[in-house]
Amino acid sequence: MIKLNSPHDLEILRESIVSKRDPNRTCVTVCSGTGCLAYGSHDIFREFRLEIEKQRLGEEVDLRRTGCHGFCGRGPLIVIFPEKICYLGAQKEDVADIVSKTIVDKELVDRLLYKDFETGEQITRIDDIPFYKYQKRILLDNNALIDPEKIDDYIAIGGYSAIAKVLFEWNRDDLIKEIKEANLRGRGGGGFPMGVKWETTRNVPVDPKYVIVNADEGDPGAYMDRSLLEGNPHCVLEGLIIGAYAVGSQEGFIYVRDEYPLALENTKIAIETAREYGLLGENILGSGFDFEITIHRGAGAFVSGESSALMNAVEGRVGEPRPKYIHTSVKGLWDRPTCLNNVETWANVPFIVNKGADWFKSIGTENSKGTKIFSLVGKINNTGLVEVPMGTTLREIVYHIGGGIPNAKKFKAVQTGGPSGGVLPEDMLDIPVDFDALTEAGSMMGSGGMIVMDENTCMVDTARYYIEFLAHESCGKCIPCREGLRQMLRILNSITRGVGKEGDIELLEELGEMMQEASLCALGKTAPNPVLSTIRHFRDEYEAHINEARCPAGVCKELIIYHINPEDCLRCGLCEKNCPTNAISKDEDEVYVINQESCIKCGSCMSVCPEKANAIVVENAFRPPFANDLPKTDVAATTIYST
Amino acid sequence: MDTQGEIVSQSPYQGPGITDVVVIDDEESICEGCRQTLETGGYRSEIARDGIQGLKLVEQSHPRVVLVDLKMQGMNGMEVLTKLSEFDPSIVSIVITGYGSIDSAVETMKIGASDFLTKPFTPEKLLESVNRGMELSQSAREKRVTEGTAQPLRVPEKAPLNKQNVLLNGLEVLGQYYSLGLKERQFFSELKYLESEAEHHAERLGRVEEKEKTVLDIVHDLRLVDNIIQGYGYKKNVLIQILMDIQAELNWLPSHTLKWVSMRLNIPYANIYSIVNFYNVFNLEPRGDHIIEICMGTACHVRGAAGLMERVSSLLGVQPGETDSEMLFTLKSVRCMGCCALAPVMKIDEQYNSNPKVSDLKKRFDNYMGKEESS
Ligand SMILES: Cc1cc2nc3c(=O)[nH]c(=O)nc-3n(C[C@H](O)[C@H](O)[C@H](O)COP(=O)(O)O)c2cc1C
Repeated sequence: MIKLNSPHDLEILRESIVSKRDPNRTCVTVCSGTGCLAYGSHDIFREFRLEIEKQRLGEEVDLRRTGCHGFCGRGPLIVIFPEKICYLGAQKEDVADIVSKTIVDKELVDRLLYKDFETGEQITRIDDIPFYKYQKRILLDNNALIDPEKIDDYIAIGGYSAIAKVLFEWNRDDLIKEIKEANLRGRGGGGFPMGVKWETTRNVPVDPKYVIVNADEGDPGAYMDRSLLEGNPHCVLEGLIIGAYAVGSQEGFIYVRDEYPLALENTKIAIETAREYGLLGENILGSGFDFEITIHRGAGAFVSGESSALMNAVEGRVGEPRPKYIHTSVKGLWDRPTCLNNVETWANVPFIVNKGADWFKSIGTENSKGTKIFSLVGKINNTGLVEVPMGTTLREIVYHIGGGIPNAKKFKAVQTGGPSGGVLPEDMLDIPVDFDALTEAGSMMGSGGMIVMDENTCMVDTARYYIEFLAHESCGKCIPCREGLRQMLRILNSITRGVGKEGDIELLEELGEMMQEASLCALGKTAPNPVLSTIRHFRDEYEAHINEARCPAGVCKELIIYHINPEDCLRCGLCEKNCPTNAISKDEDEVYVINQESCIKCGSCMSVCPEKANAIVVENAFRPPFANDLPKTDVAATTIYST
Repeated sequence: MDTQGEIVSQSPYQGPGITDVVVIDDEESICEGCRQTLETGGYRSEIARDGIQGLKLVEQSHPRVVLVDLKMQGMNGMEVLTKLSEFDPSIVSIVITGYGSIDSAVETMKIGASDFLTKPFTPEKLLESVNRGMELSQSAREKRVTEGTAQPLRVPEKAPLNKQNVLLNGLEVLGQYYSLGLKERQFFSELKYLESEAEHHAERLGRVEEKEKTVLDIVHDLRLVDNIIQGYGYKKNVLIQILMDIQAELNWLPSHTLKWVSMRLNIPYANIYSIVNFYNVFNLEPRGDHIIEICMGTACHVRGAAGLMERVSSLLGVQPGETDSEMLFTLKSVRCMGCCALAPVMKIDEQYNSNPKVSDLKKRFDNYMGKEESS
């Protein structure tokens, strides 16, 4: 590889890459994000290569592996350019068909096209699919265009031109002013303005300074940072290099969690190839600016994503938070000024440099500018990554983009902000999603996890889930957080087991307020949110558990029993085959019954029971509190729901 | 290097052993400063202004401690260090660096430096470091004299006679030797010695084969650890990465590897242990051949991950976090794998499965068991 010694070299390289590419040439792209890989997209890619070879189309057709397209619920995704035909859920066996029909004969393979949920209408182009149509994809768009392992792909679409611009045309003050002007707020949770952080770090008269990418993404149910690093790592690198130049740093770190092997690999490749081109390392583009990046792997602890904890980890210590009497942008890594931002925040930087603060400010709301990526998951038809302008309403996201709730179930709530956030019930669906509105509504933006819950999600169980998570992840250093969480978990466990007491709800509220006041770091301060917000909006569910030992959603194991309705049962035997404890058998009338003694209530029977039968029903065990030892079968039962 | 016969005559002092410290630095002010400070501390020192001259002086006057500047014209500090440890491993070398760059200083530790001083340093710092160096050198010399060659410590009489103990005891001593500049080859010959020592004990206890295997395994593990640490240039701050790499190779973190890391990086064992305990990814127990992970992310949770865990756990007969008695399967819960579209997700080794059916799981698990038995 040649070393680029000036912006001119970069332009020449770009021109030579672009000139070899014909925009009208057919290009098959196969999504290779972790989601699609799990669906087998690797095999599909290989099959395409073989098929293209077999039909001798190598001269006319390009084949490209790309990053995550975001529509993960319908993977593996195949998009054929230049028409942008989108095929969903294809299998290896479909490849030959796609090649002969679509590529050779220019016909569509109908069975793989998107069909509208309501109208049944077929949609050909990816941009016309509602999931994409209502989004504004700035950061994610490029994922679909480039092979993350190939730096040339990124350069071809204008990559690294922002660096050339800041290094040769702007001075540091211009750059910081522009980012401040754009009012880009941190995407990792806090929403702190990035430009202000840069300025603080820049102005501390201590060297060396450091810059860090926070790719720890500990929020369970959120994966946009992974998708960006996996699909377009150069964009994050470019943002980081620009930031390093702005604050005057020569050494940067990318902290990637260990559960993301592909993101790690692609980032490594990106760093190596950028270095070979001279876009990283000594004398970048001949400007005299030196900058190096080291990757640091996280080891799976939620609290390590907190900025001071993360710096501890990079220093090789236990990733626990330390008190931040002095902000990390003044005294961070090795007590040096350190600018730490989230992956998505860094990825926004090249766009602002290229298109200007005014462009950026034209998107979003008064105090929240630009777009935000959400991971829309849970009980939702279109699971995936959604990028929308700040201020888009929850309703638009859940219904227009997400396609609503599957199986005609009723919407119950959206959870945002991860373990530090809260739930938003139906009457809040019309609030615009931005930093301030979400906080006002009692939740928070967090890193962008958006978990949709339907009528079969138990809110007490949800609160218990988060508290269990947090109790496990609390570092234990300060007592309010450690003990508060432990007590909360104990209470929630007893409530979900049907042995809650009167006064438990009030006790939870009291504990919550104490923790908010007295904890050391944001983990403890925000930890009661899942409990407090579910109490606020779904107090009746708590009361049903406590007063009647009843779980209205039919989730809490101790409070329900499974039962087979003989009238609906098709006698297919699927449930028998799929019962892990062999608790299902036929009785003398050839009817399948569940032996309640050996049933572990795992729900396997329910998930395999054919849709047309729906014979498995969940019933209330109806146990009065403190009567755990009553035999379950003797208990009166009322149906809560069936499949 | 030209050594013209007996070199005693060229020294201003009277022969080997009289000079305590040689200072090699190309900055005159540093050399002078050191000489004066050392004098007040009661040490006799000589100074050299470049590497070649410095090595000559060392050969002539056999000092116990050598101070070496890393950045010098001509032969640089690293080369000097290498030559020094070849010449006499019992000479303790202390590196002077001008950059405050701890990493490059740590680099030098692996080729034999025992300490480093960052410029500018105070007289107290200098004396403290030299005092320590003198002690180290003294004990190394004593051993050379009394035993002819370096010998590992004997196992205390009362320790249980197994090979692991023999090795662990010996390791501590080896670690010290190594930081005194022992070469790789020597280091492994020491390990060999320990091995035979352990072999001996094992023979007395019977069950030779089993023990032999244990020892070989341990030696293998330590070599592996050494390679990994070397790959990271002996940096302390990459401890977590080092531990992860070790686990990636061995599947878990045996205590002897942790101990070895502690000695090689000079980090207290307790610190390492607390890190290993803090993070979910580390395993202090051996794991099964197949790792089965169930995602406990929020998306998976609302779509029934708990039920999936119940199913798998009851099929395998192990609780989350446990390994079955045949060492075939380890069942783990994970905090979100980030493939929420497949929720609830289970991962067997590297393969993702979306809400797998019990009937399929039964087949798969039986298959694994069958395969393992026949092979
Ligand atoms: C318990 C806890 C966990 C956190 N985890 C993450 C995380 O996984 N990723 C992240 O980017 N920020 C996380 N944060 C926020 C960081 O502390 C920090 O504010 C953020 O990374 C700054 O970047 P930004 O300004 O670009 O958002 C966490 C904070 C807390 C209190």
